[in-house]
Amino acid sequence: MNIVKINVTVYGRYKNIAGNQTIQLDITDGNTLRDVIDVFVKQYPMTKKDKSRMIVTKNKMYSSYDTMITEEDEVSIAPPVVSGG
Amino acid sequence: MTKDRYRRQALVRELGQNGQDMLATKHVVVIGGGGLGSNSANLMVRMGIGSIDIIDYDSVELSNLHRTSVFSEEDLGKSKALVLQEKLQKVNMNVRAKAINQRVTSENIRAFVSDADVIIDGTDSVPLRLLINEESIRHNIPWVYAGVYETVGMVMGILPKNTPCFQCITQNIPKSTMKEIPVLGSLPATIASIQCNEAIKILLGRHPKGLIIYDVWNQCFDSMNIQRNPSCITCGRK
Ligand SMILES: [Zn+2]
Repeated sequence: MNIVKINVTVYGRYKNIAGNQTIQLDITDGNTLRDVIDVFVKQYPMTKKDKSRMIVTKNKMYSSYDTMITEEDEVSIAPPVVSGG
Repeated sequence: MTKDRYRRQALVRELGQNGQDMLATKHVVVIGGGGLGSNSANLMVRMGIGSIDIIDYDSVELSNLHRTSVFSEEDLGKSKALVLQEKLQKVNMNVRAKAINQRVTSENIRAFVSDADVIIDGTDSVPLRLLINEESIRHNIPWVYAGVYETVGMVMGILPKNTPCFQCITQNIPKSTMKEIPVLGSLPATIASIQCNEAIKILLGRHPKGLIIYDVWNQCFDSMNIQRNPSCITCGRK
């Protein structure tokens, strides 16, 4: 099985949930940001309700879930943009 | 008397008397006078902005009082914008405070913000923020996004063509179906304070940096470094 190791920086309450600001996720299936999110949510189920709306960046650039990634890429994940006032 | 009013603030090295004098020449437009907007307007008036327009079409409701400043029970049913103008004007007669009791639309936004040195986001909707964002990028007017939800607040200072815009960080948000957004009462004041810090810095020529995320319940304060998206439909380098 081909495992892609992705370094992920997490923000906000995800830092508390993951216990660290930087984590490494093993992606065994697929090579997009969506696959990274899938593994993240599986590993930290408390983040599940945000799954479709997380702020995700690849190399500091906000990116769609379909964006392809490799082990060299730096991924960041933050809770969804909030809109109350 | 004016000097005495701001004496302690002008002592702040980052600001100084020059910064204080500069603030008095600036015009701020606050769009939305609820939890965020009332608190931000209050702070901007006290800190000595030159003039402030407060735009809101709604009236004060009982369910607003837990998270707003300035309003009291006697204001229930009155225009938020007018109450803010009247009360804040009494706080600081050196500031020109103006109420605009209207709904902001794509047709009228230009007239409301054309003179603004910075726009302060006190809204509670993504579509309205996207409208502010487009206007900001089109006419090169900085603005400061802020939003709250439960115990989480976010703030981002947006300097057109310099920093990421709101569209740069919101491309995949699905439409919200939530009728009432849950908010801890103390949160808007906290986030509005951070928003005003960013607004003051922009007014004094500093470049804002990244998306500030503050989860007050979990004691997480972060600044997320996000860069401009070259393919952003609003600010992209076409
Ligand atoms: Zn943009």
